[in-house]
Amino acid sequence: MDELELLKKDWNKEDNKYPKLTYNEIYKMILKRSSSIVKWIFIISLLEFIFWTFISLLLKDTESMKRFDQFNSDAVFIPLMAIGYVILAYFFYCFFKNYKTISATDNAKVLMENILKTRKTVKQYVAFNLIYLVISTIIILIFEFNKDSIFIEQVNQATANGQALKFYVLFIITVLILLVVAIGVLLLFYWAVYGLLLKRLNRNYKELQKLDE
Amino acid sequence: MNKELEHSFVELLEKHQNIIHKVCRLYTNNYDAHNDLFQEITIQLWKAYPKFRGDAKFSTWMYRVGLNTAITLYRKSKRSINTQQFDGVEFKMKAEDYDDTEEQQLKTLYNALHQLNDIDKALVFLYLEDKDYTEISETMGISEVNARVKMNRIKTKLKTILNP
Repeated sequence: MDELELLKKDWNKEDNKYPKLTYNEIYKMILKRSSSIVKWIFIISLLEFIFWTFISLLLKDTESMKRFDQFNSDAVFIPLMAIGYVILAYFFYCFFKNYKTISATDNAKVLMENILKTRKTVKQYVAFNLIYLVISTIIILIFEFNKDSIFIEQVNQATANGQALKFYVLFIITVLILLVVAIGVLLLFYWAVYGLLLKRLNRNYKELQKLDE
Repeated sequence: MNKELEHSFVELLEKHQNIIHKVCRLYTNNYDAHNDLFQEITIQLWKAYPKFRGDAKFSTWMYRVGLNTAITLYRKSKRSINTQQFDGVEFKMKAEDYDDTEEQQLKTLYNALHQLNDIDKALVFLYLEDKDYTEISETMGISEVNARVKMNRIKTKLKTILNP
């Protein structure tokens, strides 16, 4: 006899081998909260949006940013900020659109694809922010070098001491290290959080894809 | 209205709860994990219920949501660690229904099932539930031919496990 047929016979035979939950027990369950990965992705994504918006607001209010106002930097920074907000709105829209399409009643493959799509939108948003961070830093540095009186004074002082090169090198290295550390920590965080959360989904999605090759 | 919806849902679920138990049996290996997954499937079903239309059978709809939860949505909770293990046949069975060899075979088969990956388990589950390949392929989102090919491979795999 076919092994699976033997199994099937047993599988469909006994109904009383399973626990029998009562109406009330089931009712209590529907009042509980889901702990599905979709919910977690949603929460983490929202936190990411909040985090990046918060960072940009925080940077705007710092002393050094206020000093920028004196440098006639509006022509550069206002468009930069506007682009930032437009892109935030765009990603937010995509994210919610994707999120809405996730449905447990889709077939397994479509469901997985929709979840991965939501995740991808947020990934792109994070990538955008990292690039944005690097570009902003470069622009800020250009302004610092050219317009910031305090900075220029420090450069002049260093030049007078014959240490101009050392000053520039140290400065650039410090900025680079800060950027690399910041980006590294963020990437590590994403890798850990999403890696753990999506490990199973990725594995099963690959398995399904393999089936359809 | 909401109360009515709740009532009709819980009543239907109570009647069809074995479908969920069967999914849990395949995807978990201890009592707490079983309950945990059962709960998550119930929540997912309830969330999807307002969109459930009578055009599909309630049980068919349950298969889909149940399997999707087990292979995609479910996140193991910490509660499921540190509990006693059971194999697939731990649920009480009537001794007189089995002769020794058959019982032994079944035990081995259930153990073998537990070793399959999540996707293979889903295919076997639908097969055991007597679903045809059209429904299996629609539930999983793969082609019917591939579902059939895969099923044959699983059968061979199980055969080798049973008769090494």
